[in-house]
Amino acid sequence: MTTDTANARGNARTRPNPGLLVIGRLVVPALAVVTLLFGGGLVLGLVQSLGYLPATGMQMFTLRHFAGVLSDPDFFYSLGLTFYIAATSTATAALISVAMALVLTSLARRQRVVHFIFQIPLTVPHLVIAVALVFMMAPTGLLSRAALKLGMINSSASFPLLINDSWAIGTLTAYVWKEVPFITLMILSVLRRTGMELLEVGKTLKASRRQRFFHITLPTIFPSLAAACLIVFAYTFGAFEVPFLLGQTYPMTLPVWAYKSYSDVDLMARPEGIAIGLIIAAVIIAAVVAAQLLTKAARHRGLVL
Amino acid sequence: MGDLKLQNITIDYDHTPVVHDFSLTVENGQMASLLGPSGAGKTTVLKAVAGLLQPRSGEIFIDGRLANGLPPEKRNAVMVFQKNLLFPFMNVEQNIGFGLRMQGRSNAEVHRRIEKILELTELTGLNRRKVHELSGGQQQRVSLARALVLQPAILLLDEPLSSLDATLRQQMRELIQDIQAQTRITTLFVTHDQAEALMMSQRVCLLLNGRIRQVGNPQELFYRPADPEVARFFGGCNFFEGQLKNGVYYSPFATVAAPELADNGQRLNATIRPEDILISVKGTQGLPGRVQKASFEGGTTRIWVQCQNRVFVVLAPRTDLCAGQNVRLHLPKDKIRIFPPGN
Amino acid sequence: MVAAGVIVVVLLPFVPLVMWSLSDRWFYPELWPRQWGLRAWQYVFSTAGTQILGGLWQSVGVAATVSCISVGIGMPAGRALGLFDFRGKDLVAVVLILPVIVPPLCVAMGLHLWFIIIGLAGSFLGVVLVHLTFCLPYAVFVMWGIFSNYDPAYEEQARSLGAPAWKVLVRVTLPLTFPGIIVAGLFAFLLSWSQYLSTLIIGGGKVATLPILLFALMGSGDRPVAAAVSIVFVAPAMLALLFSARYLGGRSITGVR
Ligand SMILES: Nc1ncnc2c1ncn2[C@@H]1O[C@H](COP(=O)(O)OP(=O)(O)O)[C@@H](O)[C@H]1O
Ligand SMILES: [Mg+2]
Repeated sequence: MTTDTANARGNARTRPNPGLLVIGRLVVPALAVVTLLFGGGLVLGLVQSLGYLPATGMQMFTLRHFAGVLSDPDFFYSLGLTFYIAATSTATAALISVAMALVLTSLARRQRVVHFIFQIPLTVPHLVIAVALVFMMAPTGLLSRAALKLGMINSSASFPLLINDSWAIGTLTAYVWKEVPFITLMILSVLRRTGMELLEVGKTLKASRRQRFFHITLPTIFPSLAAACLIVFAYTFGAFEVPFLLGQTYPMTLPVWAYKSYSDVDLMARPEGIAIGLIIAAVIIAAVVAAQLLTKAARHRGLVL
Repeated sequence: MGDLKLQNITIDYDHTPVVHDFSLTVENGQMASLLGPSGAGKTTVLKAVAGLLQPRSGEIFIDGRLANGLPPEKRNAVMVFQKNLLFPFMNVEQNIGFGLRMQGRSNAEVHRRIEKILELTELTGLNRRKVHELSGGQQQRVSLARALVLQPAILLLDEPLSSLDATLRQQMRELIQDIQAQTRITTLFVTHDQAEALMMSQRVCLLLNGRIRQVGNPQELFYRPADPEVARFFGGCNFFEGQLKNGVYYSPFATVAAPELADNGQRLNATIRPEDILISVKGTQGLPGRVQKASFEGGTTRIWVQCQNRVFVVLAPRTDLCAGQNVRLHLPKDKIRIFPPGN
Repeated sequence: MVAAGVIVVVLLPFVPLVMWSLSDRWFYPELWPRQWGLRAWQYVFSTAGTQILGGLWQSVGVAATVSCISVGIGMPAGRALGLFDFRGKDLVAVVLILPVIVPPLCVAMGLHLWFIIIGLAGSFLGVVLVHLTFCLPYAVFVMWGIFSNYDPAYEEQARSLGAPAWKVLVRVTLPLTFPGIIVAGLFAFLLSWSQYLSTLIIGGGKVATLPILLFALMGSGDRPVAAAVSIVFVAPAMLALLFSARYLGGRSITGVR
């Protein structure tokens, strides 16, 4: 019982703790950099958004910047839009990724090229795919020209609005294109490691294809799928470039609004920008904590790993 | 319940065959062992029976019905894998009940059958344990229970004991034999351990390099190996050559009557097991030899004896011999195995 | 079928980039450029050569520096987290996960004022520091994964065979964790490489990396040049992918984003 159990729990438990001094020496540099720069950034941001702004001589504690943002009638539009973009792109990318992962595991190993091509979006900056989609999907873009050529439309005005549109089609396309390989590869690595063997067990235990998917594949990939989705959600909720280039000018997503305020010529708008930034951070952290709690509950009921 | 019949199976990986022309029958309610060194193709054969691989040619009959085209879930054969491959996100009970739930059995039935099988595999009370909280032996038993609970016609066990330590392995062997005797499920038991194969079943099939070399009861394989390679696999190390004349086999070490091998003048190989050679220090009977080396192994001593141009290995329960000593060897005629022509 | 679909969907967005970068005159609604030409590329490499190539070097410099520091500091931390259990490990994990999920925008806005005061705003170092806030934790997570499958008994074996500590590091630890180091480095490099907003806020336009230039070009509306710069911008990252694919024996770079 003893050795087997210990091994099953992984590397860390089998080794004696070499003492806080040794561990401290290894961890402290990284921790210091993160605490100082990241923690410092957040704290300073908070201080500024609460009224401390030396440039204007204002040094008084106030909640009015937060109040100003929250009472702005546009705020809930922006929050809703940002949430819509993040949730829709994450969900769409997750669905496509699960399908892709299943397809890729069944593809022969010889299809190296497909695997390689599939990884390309990982290296393409969000900015570049946004630029490419402008060229592709704008009213004067390549798609519109092709549609005209094929006689599907008769002028650029009758081409559906895919960029800067109210459904954020362009933004969503960019995110899905970019994030599907990320999520897929996260799932694939689990599927390849243990999933295939467990599926064989499932087959001999008489599970149908559908049952194998719901009772074996899903629970196996769930932890990495959830982690990947959280990262994607957090990224798309707080990203600037894509909605700035491909989104509507009004309403703006929260990050675009935050930067607009921050870089406003009116220095008084700056603390409001920071306040929006902090609200974004708070929403993301709340989402992660909620997801963590849900996973814990699911694990408690034995639904997932 | 049902029998298993494999006829001339050839199985490929990436267009190169790894199992050639494999035929085997396991009678209804019997247990047979499939024995072979690592890489011989044992797992490959089991996967083909389970339906996880398609053979390139040949037929598989499960319970008298051709199973070739059937997907694994439609076959009445369940495989227990070498690694126990328990679902890590399920507890013991959920793992064992998996197959029954897939068939849509009622809750009551699932629970009743799980309890029964837990008792049979000596796991009672561990229903809610997480898989990683079990010992190696317990995990292996859960894996076995998960297959048994489905009451398959054919049970395929792929080296189920290879990850356990020696004492646990012996207990598990007995457990598996008991369960098989009680349930009378037709079982194909795979192992790379020759002793295990011999003790597990009355029928052993030896696979070397993807080909069947011999099928028979344990004594046949052990004492009447079909060819020198089979003999070597079972620890045979004394080989010599001789010639047939008028139904008698003449070699420098022994002369044996072999009336069934009538062909005159043929040169044939023969072998004798090391524990069957008699060794003595006194007397003038037998073949003169000189001890090269003696190595104490506990119950017996392994003695290398130079005799003419050959070195014989002898296993004997004596500790008084040392290098350089002159001895006499005696090869009992009835213990000499003459290989049929072609070997 | 699926393979063909994947290839088309992945490569399609590059078609307009390449076409536009090679067109001299191309009006709506023509499907092909009226006149192909290298004007954009000439602009990139000669007319505005100093600026754009300068941006390229600036980007490479920032990303390479961030990547080296991240691996250098991230490896020891990853080792401690992967090999040992200690009190406060969960807290350390939380502290490290926060910068991965909280957008750099928030941190950059907060740091900006402080960096102005201590003179780091608008400087190379300032940009490196702000990129480190999220690149370093990523590198730590990669190395954490590597070290949880690492057996330090190799090091003990080497020590008992008579190797001094530094030789053990160079001859045993580094070779054994090399694929992980490459992935962690690549990771940090790509993250820093594609970073726009935090560079803009802290660099204030003075640290003109490629994304800063590209954004400005998109504003100016010169499509052929913007397309050409986009291609310049993706090329090194793709080379990095090719390199890693070769180096890691065809394994995919799971986890990079
Ligand atoms: N997935 C595979 N692809 C290619 N060759 C394989 C694969 N699995 C096993 N083999 C080869 O087939 C042979 C038989 O393997 P296996 O049936 O697993 O042997 P055993 O179970 O007897 O140890 C081995 O030589 C092995 O290298
Ligand atoms: Mg095997």
